[in-house]
Amino acid sequence: MTGPADAKTIKDADSLEVAPGFAHEKLEGWVPDLAGEEEVRQALEKAFDYRGDVTITRRDGSKIEGYVFDRRTGKTLADSAVRLFPKDSDKKVSVPYSEIAALAFTGRDTAAGKSFEAWVRKYWEKKAAGEKNIGIQAEALE
Amino acid sequence: MWTVASYVVKQKLARRKRYPLVLMLEPLFRCNLACAGCGKIQYPAHILKKELTPEQCFLAVDECGAPMVSIPGGEPLMHSEIDKIVEGLVARQKYIYLCTNALLLKEKIGLFKPSKYLTFSVHMDGQRQHHDFSVCREGGYDAALEGVKEALKRGFRVTTNTTLFDGADPNSVREFFDEMMDLGVEGMMLSPGYSYDKAPDQKHFLGRARTRKLFKAILSNRKKTWQFNQSPLFLEFLMGKRHYACTPWGMPTYNIFGWQKPCYLLQDGYADTFQELMESTAWQEYGTESGNPKCANCMVHSGYEASAVNETFSSLGGLLATVKATLFTRHQDEHALKLLDEPVHPVHSYNPLVQIEEASNQLEESNA
Repeated sequence: MTGPADAKTIKDADSLEVAPGFAHEKLEGWVPDLAGEEEVRQALEKAFDYRGDVTITRRDGSKIEGYVFDRRTGKTLADSAVRLFPKDSDKKVSVPYSEIAALAFTGRDTAAGKSFEAWVRKYWEKKAAGEKNIGIQAEALE
Repeated sequence: MWTVASYVVKQKLARRKRYPLVLMLEPLFRCNLACAGCGKIQYPAHILKKELTPEQCFLAVDECGAPMVSIPGGEPLMHSEIDKIVEGLVARQKYIYLCTNALLLKEKIGLFKPSKYLTFSVHMDGQRQHHDFSVCREGGYDAALEGVKEALKRGFRVTTNTTLFDGADPNSVREFFDEMMDLGVEGMMLSPGYSYDKAPDQKHFLGRARTRKLFKAILSNRKKTWQFNQSPLFLEFLMGKRHYACTPWGMPTYNIFGWQKPCYLLQDGYADTFQELMESTAWQEYGTESGNPKCANCMVHSGYEASAVNETFSSLGGLLATVKATLFTRHQDEHALKLLDEPVHPVHSYNPLVQIEEASNQLEESNA
């Protein structure tokens, strides 16, 4: 994910007419190359911002799939960790950056394609087709 | 009011620099709406299924110590034990604002007993068409209205909370205030929408300049019948009459992930305890004045209403300003009246199908 604003916008916050919003990258299906420390840090920052599940492969070969809700960064990879809720457990798990061999953005981006414009267009299309009780349905749980 | 006042005075006497005013308790993220501007529910199914237990909620409330507890979500009425959570908080004499879209209120109202501690804060984003487009659900307004009427009939305290986005029509908002007060709600709450980075929609968040202009148009030349359940100084802040620095610790947030850093709106990590949140968060890195781009447009109550309340109790001047703002609510303003005459273009009024037809007709005419 990239940030919402350049330095000018930050300085001019009080005169801002419309907040610029965030530009979300299409991360679904992405498998970052974790070649060096910087790549590992950047990829895990994106995993933290991601609106879906990721799969982490540890150096011992074990895999864990879940939602990354926190990351704590230290001076070294061993001092840094991501925290996630595994897909099949209610127990929070912490994985040090240094133990991560691979990362994949395996889950669906739960917000992609659901802009206000998309909703308004859908509404008017359904209205023109004579439909009633038009709405966007909440995320299915199964 | 007295409870809040005595609590804040105690914090001042104890020289506590940072203290919580309202705990934002999110017992679940699941919702029965899918509003495009909401950044609270974009999670995979296994996260949406998770709930805080009543015991986890009570532990958080006791740990935090704030006199007021707001229960947003997700939709709290979808929580399997929301009645137990509310009952436990009432027993603790906490003032509860149960924030609901009210789609389930009529069905679930029997779970609750009227109490001075319990208020249903119903999410209403304006008049029927505005609300339905805002919550992305036709019929949402009517269902919420039914819930409000039922709650009022049964003797519950009811307020409304309204989030405004770019394109809001100030005249319509003012008419909406009339409708809500006629309905019999106790008071209304207002806020500009925050630019949640996880929200599906990223194009209609008000910047600070436009926020001030919109709220000046809405809240100037105020009618005596309008009651707001907010700090009067915070309303003046929204109108551009006051400047505050952010108080992100004023309304700390607890949910299934833990204590959210740094505030209700921004997710920059989680602490496991309230103490850890207060001690380990780099507070200076947040707030518009910090230059943090994620805070650039924020004028939301969760960051700035606590700042306004803090001013009230920080000096005699603050107290007098609050008394003045409470007694003299009219805010007569000729310029603001002219703002009401300016054309507005609500985003939902743009029908892409009609526009395409019109463009096509114009093309045919010019070809003829």
